Amino acid sequence: MSAAQETTAIHTDLIANTEEINQLLRRYGVKFGIYKNGTFREQFFPFDPIQRVITHDDFQQLEVGLKQRVDALNLFLYDIYHEKKIVKDGIVSEDFIYLSGGYLPQCEGITSSHQIYSHISGIDLVQAKDETWYILEDNLRIPSGASYPLIVRELTRIASPRTFSENTVLDNRNYAKLLKNTIEHVNCGSIMAILAPGHYNAAYFEHSYLAELTNAVLVQNNELFVEDNVLYYRTYSGGKKRVGILYRHISDEYMDPLAFESSSLIGVPNIMEACRAGNVALINAPGNGSADDKGIYYFVPKMIRYYLGQKPLLQNAPTYLPFYEEDRRYVMDHLKDFVIKDVAEAGGYGVLLGRDLSQEKLA
Amino acid sequence: MGTISLEHGDRLFWLGRYIERSFTTLKAIQSHFDQALDDDPLLYQKYLTAFGLADTYGNRDTFLKRFLFEKENQNSVAFSLRCVYDNGIVLREDISTESLSYLQLTMDELERSKDLEKGLRLKLLALEDTLYGFRGCLEDHVYDLEKKALIDCGQFIERLDLYFRLRYSDEAVLPELKRLLERLRMIPKHTPYQYNTAHLSTLVELMGETNITSYAGTAITSLSCLFEPV
Repeated sequence: MSAAQETTAIHTDLIANTEEINQLLRRYGVKFGIYKNGTFREQFFPFDPIQRVITHDDFQQLEVGLKQRVDALNLFLYDIYHEKKIVKDGIVSEDFIYLSGGYLPQCEGITSSHQIYSHISGIDLVQAKDETWYILEDNLRIPSGASYPLIVRELTRIASPRTFSENTVLDNRNYAKLLKNTIEHVNCGSIMAILAPGHYNAAYFEHSYLAELTNAVLVQNNELFVEDNVLYYRTYSGGKKRVGILYRHISDEYMDPLAFESSSLIGVPNIMEACRAGNVALINAPGNGSADDKGIYYFVPKMIRYYLGQKPLLQNAPTYLPFYEEDRRYVMDHLKDFVIKDVAEAGGYGVLLGRDLSQEKLA
Repeated sequence: MGTISLEHGDRLFWLGRYIERSFTTLKAIQSHFDQALDDDPLLYQKYLTAFGLADTYGNRDTFLKRFLFEKENQNSVAFSLRCVYDNGIVLREDISTESLSYLQLTMDELERSKDLEKGLRLKLLALEDTLYGFRGCLEDHVYDLEKKALIDCGQFIERLDLYFRLRYSDEAVLPELKRLLERLRMIPKHTPYQYNTAHLSTLVELMGETNITSYAGTAITSLSCLFEPV
């Protein structure tokens, strides 16, 4: 059955049960927060029954290709904060590393537990009209959103059982176990905590749901402190428990006011020193932004060849980097055909469509 | 066990208190509805007096509606449920998504009841059902006994406070006092919930009295000061 035929078969029952699924999402309090005109409001998550079907064969190829890509990115992150061989060997221009906003000199020399820097990677994919899959973007900082498809899957199985009895749908509900295993693998000792900025964060449901599924302690920064380069959780009896692993949902720049943004009120002072001493694993590691910006994206296929000696299994979307003269000339001649991205931006910011530019701007 | 921060301890305790406040208020209103069928329409004023509240409601129907549904009214079921939610939502990993789903059902049920012209008492029964479901879920899903004891302490302190104010009978009060004492023993020392011996002694002595509710003032004071540092 083609992907298009499979999509139609799955749609029928899901569309018929959209209202029931939305009611269940409401019952289970699946919400996200938004700030509008300075006011925080929580909204129930709306369910869209139109599926993006990935065939079994495609999924298997994607899985292998994504693992290959993330392996190379992890090796790259270790390398650029240590020996920088990839720069010395002329594979990646140093301009794209050290001038990137995601590169943090404070992370120089820090070896993440088991040399894993990107434990959870949000790799954006796009499928072309000819059904070829391309990598669109790598997100290695604090990728989020996994909780929503997890709970939606639970609820769609209740409200639309035919979708699952009449189609072979891969079960995604082992994500929590995979996440827990991933986290435990790099644990530097004792308890696992999830650090969230608090209830009024847009993704609070995600933070608390993942804490529940992984048996982690959900914490805010005032419940943590560093003593002798060890991270502790402060208990209500005046005691302390060592934290060996911290899955944090706070941006790098706010993580440690003594290392990064000094005005941060949501970070933990000296946590970077605990991390440097190897006493706590931070998930994902700080400084990962140097491997997921739009400039470095161009070099990822080269990284795969360089570090793994393998041919990339998944291709980047065709990309030109005007830093190189040849690419610059081509881009300038075909500007209206391109999507133009600012290398320093993320999350959909700094994106221009060439076709939308006026003749004046194109000139 | 013991992985409880100050913030979580506080949330667990107040979760218990607000669950009980919602529940006992709901039950009291149900009881009031019943009595009001064949009694004085100003009977609701007795209820207000028990809490030292002035009658700003004017009549029984307004009192009932506002005590059930008015979100800004700190004495209402709607307000207490909101406080349960505010505490519960930051305790998901302790109390479970399943428990929270019953809380959401309860809040939705209350919201749907507010514009009913008839059949309100039946609707309130359904509301009680979902609230019972929430409490049952907590019973089943909170595995850490220390956390459960904190919720229970909050619940029994609030229940006793309300029972004393509403002059419930000795038969109703005594078992709740015993249950509170059992839970207090489960909270470790050196926490903000370590009991004050003097106030606990007062409560224990009351258990030997007949007509306990005549000592309501003393009991309410001891309950409110139960965690005062020695």
